[in-house]
Amino acid sequence: MKIEMFHLCPYRDLPEDFREKNRSVWVDVPRSLFDAEIASRTYNETLDELKYAAEVGYDGICVNEHHQNAYGLMPSPNLMGSVMARETKDVAIIIMGNSIALYDPPIRVAEEFAMLDCISGGRLVAGFPVGSAMDTAYGYGSNPSQLREKYAEAEELILRAWEEEEVFSFDGKYTQLRYVNLWPRPLQKPRPPVWVPGAGSIETWNTCIDKGHLYAYLSYSGYKRGKQVMDGFWKVANAAGVDNPYHAGFLQLVCVADNEQELHDKYAAHTEYFFNKMLHIYPGFADPPGYRTIDTIKAGLMAQTTSFGRADTKELSFDELREAGNVVAGTPSQVTEQLEQVSKDLRIGHLMLLNQFGSIPHELAKENIRRTAQEVIPNLRHLWSEYEDHWWPQNAIVRGGVSAPAATPAD
Amino acid sequence: MKERSVSVRNGDFQVDVLEGGSGDPLLYLHGVAGLEWTPLLEGLANGHTVIAPRTPGFGESTGTEKLHDIHDLTFFYLDLLDELGLDNLPIVGHSLGGMFAAELAATQPARFSHVALAAPFGLWNDASPVIDLFSVSLPELAAAMYADVKSEVAVAIATAPQARMTEVDPATDAGQATIGYLVERSKSMSTAAKYLWPIPNRGLSKRLHRVRQPALVIWGESDGIIPPGYAERFASQMPNAAVHVVPDAAHMVVDEQPNHVVGLIESLLAR
Repeated sequence: MKIEMFHLCPYRDLPEDFREKNRSVWVDVPRSLFDAEIASRTYNETLDELKYAAEVGYDGICVNEHHQNAYGLMPSPNLMGSVMARETKDVAIIIMGNSIALYDPPIRVAEEFAMLDCISGGRLVAGFPVGSAMDTAYGYGSNPSQLREKYAEAEELILRAWEEEEVFSFDGKYTQLRYVNLWPRPLQKPRPPVWVPGAGSIETWNTCIDKGHLYAYLSYSGYKRGKQVMDGFWKVANAAGVDNPYHAGFLQLVCVADNEQELHDKYAAHTEYFFNKMLHIYPGFADPPGYRTIDTIKAGLMAQTTSFGRADTKELSFDELREAGNVVAGTPSQVTEQLEQVSKDLRIGHLMLLNQFGSIPHELAKENIRRTAQEVIPNLRHLWSEYEDHWWPQNAIVRGGVSAPAATPAD
Repeated sequence: MKERSVSVRNGDFQVDVLEGGSGDPLLYLHGVAGLEWTPLLEGLANGHTVIAPRTPGFGESTGTEKLHDIHDLTFFYLDLLDELGLDNLPIVGHSLGGMFAAELAATQPARFSHVALAAPFGLWNDASPVIDLFSVSLPELAAAMYADVKSEVAVAIATAPQARMTEVDPATDAGQATIGYLVERSKSMSTAAKYLWPIPNRGLSKRLHRVRQPALVIWGESDGIIPPGYAERFASQMPNAAVHVVPDAAHMVVDEQPNHVVGLIESLLAR
């Protein structure tokens, strides 16, 4: 199994009464709450944490794209990836990813990813998210009823731009280019692996299976609800004769400490900050018409799983969040055991862990990264060793199993 | 009233058309809320043959996926009128249908004898924005649509189920009804979004001067969807248009004050 560290680069300093005084952390979050000094520190600490994760033994590092929000400060994850391509030497650089429907022309994404692949020496994972409704429909004004069609067209264009040997013309509904001739082209041949983050829509499952892309279920509803979604994915996959666990990724919040008291003291408030403030989203921004397809709406209603994520408005406590599986917290052996269970139950070959989330400060984030990388991850790598990972960048490191936890670098 | 299904462009579109009354034809284009045979249409049917098509994407009318933008929609409607053999007739449009009516009248002015626009979308004023129709909560939406928020129809909208929040039991009739309702709303609202997202301005102000027919712009006095100030904005760009603001009505003026609106349209047609 591969284990990657995912970083959202959250704004860690929202006021205590944020939830009471504001309707949404996304789209119309007040600009008065933004302090560029804090952002400057946050970006640099985030880059340090990503680099540190690579050094202490993670297989890859993940960053993603969000707009007009305090939840994740990386409108351009490619800028972070570019720094990481230089600051790290062997891990996978997983850009998770670029919302390809938002770029006009989408060839921009093909170019920047090709640059990143060349700079990193062939360590890039190219993520193609549809993007959240808040980011796409509201932040970037993209018409939700046309987003998926635009996405499909952009994907076709980017893949062709990477793979075709000759200059070609592209006469799309949304993009017309007389000459498509990519300079640079990716180092990986024919192209970097494509990972598609999703939130449980049927169309995304089908796309991933049809095209052979990795499907990553990114949600904070935890492994208990994640099981429902991944069962749906594997049903579609199995029908197509696909059963390789490396075809799927899953995101999980993790914190490690020596005992219950320490867990509470160190992580309770930061976990609550994440779930109660970072996911405080005005419902009107989360589900514009056409964003979810009719089939997905019907399936959701049929399965009675419509209140995904945090549809309710109640504040949740650390203990409730642990109980529901939203966060996996415990001693290294408890966390190892739970993550092994999650990976097996959900049939996950790529586990993406958040060690910094909510308001976890820099030093504590590093501690959590180090302990997870050294005391948990080595004991999980042996999983799925009977399968081949076709979704790993050609020149990214493949670390060994149980025996060799990486050395702790000097802090 | 009769309802029939009309094939357009060799079956690319299959369009429901409601038709009732007698006399010269009158075309009615419905708004975002959808099409029903309302007291307004019944009133207009007293002197006219009212022809009311259901826009693709609403109800059983198909082909919305073949319409990419407002121009596709305009030419679809021209094809439908060709199919129905309609020419030289008055056009009345409400809300989204008002925007369509304005586009049609600007594209083929000679085809339409009179133009009545009730609370049309299509223009934008930074100083007085149109409501964000797609993100407002249902109670806010109901209050913006109706002058009387306590009316049965306003309460029904304010308390309607929401796809993200609703738990349904698909095994029951009530559950199936809720699913049907939510699917229809998603379908019709994403159709509206094609023409209104993210700002309901598709360049109509560059064409509106071509609407030279006798015209009337009707607005509900307390419209919270599109502020009544837009009435003047429309009329000032149409060379032969009058404005009438209707009291005790909001965006759903055609349903809230049907007799008043029928009277206004009849006097327009007498011009």
